[in-house]
Amino acid sequence: MRKTTILSLLALATAAAAPAQTQAQAQNGRPVAFTNARLITISGKTIERGTLVVKNGKIDAIGADAVVPAGARIVDATGMTILPGLVSAWSRAGLTPPPSQITQRGGDRRGGRGDLQRFGGGGGGSAQNRAATKVMDGLYARQPVFGELLRTGITSLALTPSGNAFAGLGALLRPDGKTMEELRLDDDAFVFVGMSRDGPTKKLLKETFEKAQKVVEARKKPPEKAAAPTATETKPGEGKPGDGKTEAPKGEPAPTPKPTPEPPKPEPPKPEPPKPEPPKPEPPKPEPPKPEPPKPEPPKPDSPKPDDKKEAAASSARPEPAKDPNLEVLADLLEGKRRAIVQIDSAADLLHWHDAVADAVKFPRTIAVSRHDSFAGTFDTVIEETKSLGCAVLLPPELSTVPRARIQTHPARKLHEAGIEVGFLIGDSPAAVRMLFFRLMELVRTGLPADVALRGVTLVPAKALGIDSRTGSLDVGKNADLLVFRGDPLSPSSRLESVWLGGREVPPQP
Amino acid sequence: MRIHALLATAFAICVALDAPAQGRGRRGRGGEQPPSPPTAAPEKPAAVVDAKPKKYLAIVGGDVYLGTGQRLTGATVLLADDKIESVGHNLTLPEGTTVLDAKGKTVSPGFVCVLGNGMGAGRSAPYADAANPFDPEIKQGLAAGVTSFLTGSVGTGPSPSGSNAIAKLAYGDVKGMVLKADTVVGMSVPLSLADRDKFIDTVKKAREYMQAVEEFPKKKAADANLKEPSVPPGADKIVAILRDEVQLWIQLGGRSMNPFGGGGRRGGGGSSASDLDAVLQALEISRILGKGVVLQKPTNAWLVPDQVAATGSMVILSPRDRLPADPQDPDRTGSNLACAAILANAGVPVAVTCPSGMFGGAGVGTGGILGQDLNTPQVDAAYAVRGGLDNRKALRTLTLDSAKMLGVQARVGSLEPGKDADVLILDGDPLHYSTFVTTAVVNGRVVYEKAKEPIYRDIAR
Repeated sequence: MRKTTILSLLALATAAAAPAQTQAQAQNGRPVAFTNARLITISGKTIERGTLVVKNGKIDAIGADAVVPAGARIVDATGMTILPGLVSAWSRAGLTPPPSQITQRGGDRRGGRGDLQRFGGGGGGSAQNRAATKVMDGLYARQPVFGELLRTGITSLALTPSGNAFAGLGALLRPDGKTMEELRLDDDAFVFVGMSRDGPTKKLLKETFEKAQKVVEARKKPPEKAAAPTATETKPGEGKPGDGKTEAPKGEPAPTPKPTPEPPKPEPPKPEPPKPEPPKPEPPKPEPPKPEPPKPEPPKPDSPKPDDKKEAAASSARPEPAKDPNLEVLADLLEGKRRAIVQIDSAADLLHWHDAVADAVKFPRTIAVSRHDSFAGTFDTVIEETKSLGCAVLLPPELSTVPRARIQTHPARKLHEAGIEVGFLIGDSPAAVRMLFFRLMELVRTGLPADVALRGVTLVPAKALGIDSRTGSLDVGKNADLLVFRGDPLSPSSRLESVWLGGREVPPQP
Repeated sequence: MRIHALLATAFAICVALDAPAQGRGRRGRGGEQPPSPPTAAPEKPAAVVDAKPKKYLAIVGGDVYLGTGQRLTGATVLLADDKIESVGHNLTLPEGTTVLDAKGKTVSPGFVCVLGNGMGAGRSAPYADAANPFDPEIKQGLAAGVTSFLTGSVGTGPSPSGSNAIAKLAYGDVKGMVLKADTVVGMSVPLSLADRDKFIDTVKKAREYMQAVEEFPKKKAADANLKEPSVPPGADKIVAILRDEVQLWIQLGGRSMNPFGGGGRRGGGGSSASDLDAVLQALEISRILGKGVVLQKPTNAWLVPDQVAATGSMVILSPRDRLPADPQDPDRTGSNLACAAILANAGVPVAVTCPSGMFGGAGVGTGGILGQDLNTPQVDAAYAVRGGLDNRKALRTLTLDSAKMLGVQARVGSLEPGKDADVLILDGDPLHYSTFVTTAVVNGRVVYEKAKEPIYRDIAR
C-alpha cells in the first residue's frame, strides 16, 4: 500500500508537472496540432473542418486531411475558428506624441525652404527629421502596451513616424519584446510620407521627388572618372566603407564620381548590410559637417570618418554635392527597393497629391487614411483618382457620413466594389483592437464581404509592410501567428481564446 | 470614188487610232491614268484640328440673362469644355452635346461675390494649394448661386496692401478652385497729413519709374552700361495699380466691410452719420492715381454721384444697411435705399454684398433655410431694386460689375463667348427671394443639382 501511495503521489506530481512540461516542450519546438478547427486561411478558401500543424514556429501543414505528426501536442479546436494574427500597419503605440508641430494642417513651417537638402520639417521638424531613429530610440521598451496589444491579437506591429512630407522611416516591432533589441524586428521597414494640403508640403514633395529621380538616373550612369582621379581614388577607398551603399556589391560605380565622402551624413554604417542604415535618419542630419552620427552602432565609421573629413578638407574643390542620405532613401524607393506608406487623409488631399506628385513617379506604396474626413471628402468620392494610384488603401474600419447629414456612407465597400484592394487600420490602443471585430461586423452587415473584411486586417496590411511572405495568412511556411476564437470572429458572441506568436502561445495576462 | 475610199480609210484609221480616247472626253487617253493627284494640302488642316474633342454642354430654352443687362428669351447657351462658346437663338449644337433643358426657367451667369468666406477656399497664400474642393460649404454657396468670390484679405492701411485671390466654387476639381490671385489691393481713408504726403510722393516715384521703364530701351541703345530702372521701394503695388494689373479698394473711415471679421457693428456707424468726407478723400486718391477706385460701402456716396462717376470709380454697397440720419441734418446724412439707383443712373458700376455682422460665414446665410431666409446674394440686389435701381441693371451688381471690381471681368461676370462657363439655372426671376438655383455649372461642369443633393433636395418653398 505504501507503494501505491508513493506511486500515486508520484503520478500526481508528474501529472502536475505535465502541463508545465508540455508548455515547455511546446516552447522547445514540440509540434502543435489544432484539430477539428475551422480555418480561415485568408489566402485561400476557408476550411470548415481541418487540422493545422505548427512546427518550429511555422505552419507546417494545413488542411482537412493534414497529418498530425508524432509527438505533437494536440489542441482540440472543435467549435473554434483559427485566423491569422492581426497586422497593424499604422500605430504609434508606445510613442509619446510628437513634440511641437501638429502635423495635419499646420504645415507652414515645414518644407525646408532655404535648405535644399532639408526636408520633412522646419525648426521643430528637426525632432521629426530623425523620426525613424527616434521611433525606436524614443521608445521605452518596457511598456505594457505592447503586451496588451499582443494579447488582443496584434501579432505584427508597425511603428509609424508622424509628420508632413518625409517624416522618416517606420519600424516593425515584435510585440512580445521586452527590451529594445527584442522589440526591434526591423527598424527601417518602410518610408513614411505624410500629405497635407498646403503650399510648402506640396512644393517639398514635388521638388524632392525630382531630386530623387535625378539621383536614380545618376546611379544608372556608368562611372565617370572625376577630374582628380587620385583624389577620388583614395576617396572611394575611404568613402566606401563610409558609404555603405557603394560597398555593397550592388556594383554601383555611380557613387564614385560623387563619392563625396563627407559622410557628413554619418550614415556610413556597416557596409555589409545592404540595407543602408544611414537612410534611417532619412531627414537631413543636423548639419553636414557633423561626423558623429547620432547612432553609436557603427563603430567602424568613426575611424574612416575623421580621415574622410581630413581628406575632404584637403582635397580641392569637389564639384559633386555631398550625397544626401535622405535622397538616397528616396532614390531606393523610386527604384522599388523600398516601400512606402503614404498618409493621405481625404479626397482633397488626394487631388492635391496628384497635383504635386506626377503620375509618372511610381514607387511601391500603400495609402493609409487615418480618419474619414467628410469635410474634405472621403475616398469613395474620388474612386478614379484612387485607382490611378494603383495601390492598396488602408482605411479606418468604420462607416462615414455625408457631410452635415446623418446619411451613412460605406467608403470601404465602395472602394472594394471598384476593384481597389482595401485594408484597415486597426488602431494602436488595446481598446481599439478589442472593438475592431465589432467594427468589422458593422462593415460586413452593411455590405462588405466578410472575407474582404478579414483580409483587410491580416494580409493587406502585411503586404503594406512587406511581410506578407512570412505572415498574414494561414499558409504552409508562414509564421505561426494565430488567433484562436471560440465561435466565428465576426459574431458578437465569439471570444478570443488564445493568441499564438511564432508558434508559441502568448501567456494570458499575468 | 477612189478619193472617197481613201478618205474613208483615212477616217477609219484615225478613228481606230483614236478609239481609246473616245467616250472619255477631252482628256484623251486618260483611261488608265489615275485621276489628277489629290492635293495634299487640304488634308493637313483636318489633321491639325484639336487632338482632344471638346465636351459640349448646352442649356436650352430658358430666359437668358446675359449679366450685361440684356435678356434673351428662349435662348441657348453653348459651353465648350470650360468656356462659353456662344449664346443665342437657334444655335446648332455639335454632335454629342449634353443638353440641359431650361424651359420655363431662367439662366444667369454665376454670381460673383465681392466678399466671401470659407467655401473651400484657402485662407492665405498660396491659395490654390490649400483649396478643399469637397467642402460642403461649396454646395451651400452654389445653392445660393455664388460661383466665384474674393477670399483672403483686402489691405487696410495708409498704402495699398493685401493678399487675396478670386476663388471659384469648382466642386471636386482641385485645379479650378482659384481663378487668379492678388487682383485686389486695399487702403483706407482718411489718411493723416503725413501719410497723404507720403502717398502722393510714392505715386510720383512710381510714375517716374514707369516713365524710366518706357524710355529704357532707347537709352540702353545709346548707352550700354545703363542699368535697368528698379521699382522704388514701397511703390510696387502702386505701379501695379497704374498698370491696371490690380484694382484698388478703399475702405472708408476705418469701418471694416468684412462681416466675418470682428464684431458685428451693423452698418458700422462712425461718430458721424455721414462718411461724405471719407468719400471725397477717396475720390481725391483716385484723382491722384488717375484711376478709378472701388469704394467699400460708402453710405453717403449718393450725395456726390457725379463726382464718383467722374473719377471712374466704382462702389460696393449693402442696400440693406440702415444708418440712421443725423437729426440735425436729416437730408444729407444717413443711409439711403436709393443709393444704388442714384449711382447707377450716374453711370457708376455698383456691386452689392451682404450686411455687416449678420452672417456666420460663407457669405451666404447659414442660419436659415436657403432661399427662405433672405440671406442670399440676390436678396441684396433685390433691395437695390426696391430702392429704385432698374431691374434690368440690378443683376449686374452681382455679375459683371462685381467682376469688374475684382479685376476679373475678362473671365467671369457675364454669358459672353470666351468667358468662363459659370452658369446658373434658376426656377424664377433671379432676384426674387423665393427663387432657387436648380442647377449650377462651374468651369463647364455641373457641380450642383438641387434635385439630387442630399440636403437641398428637401428644401421646398
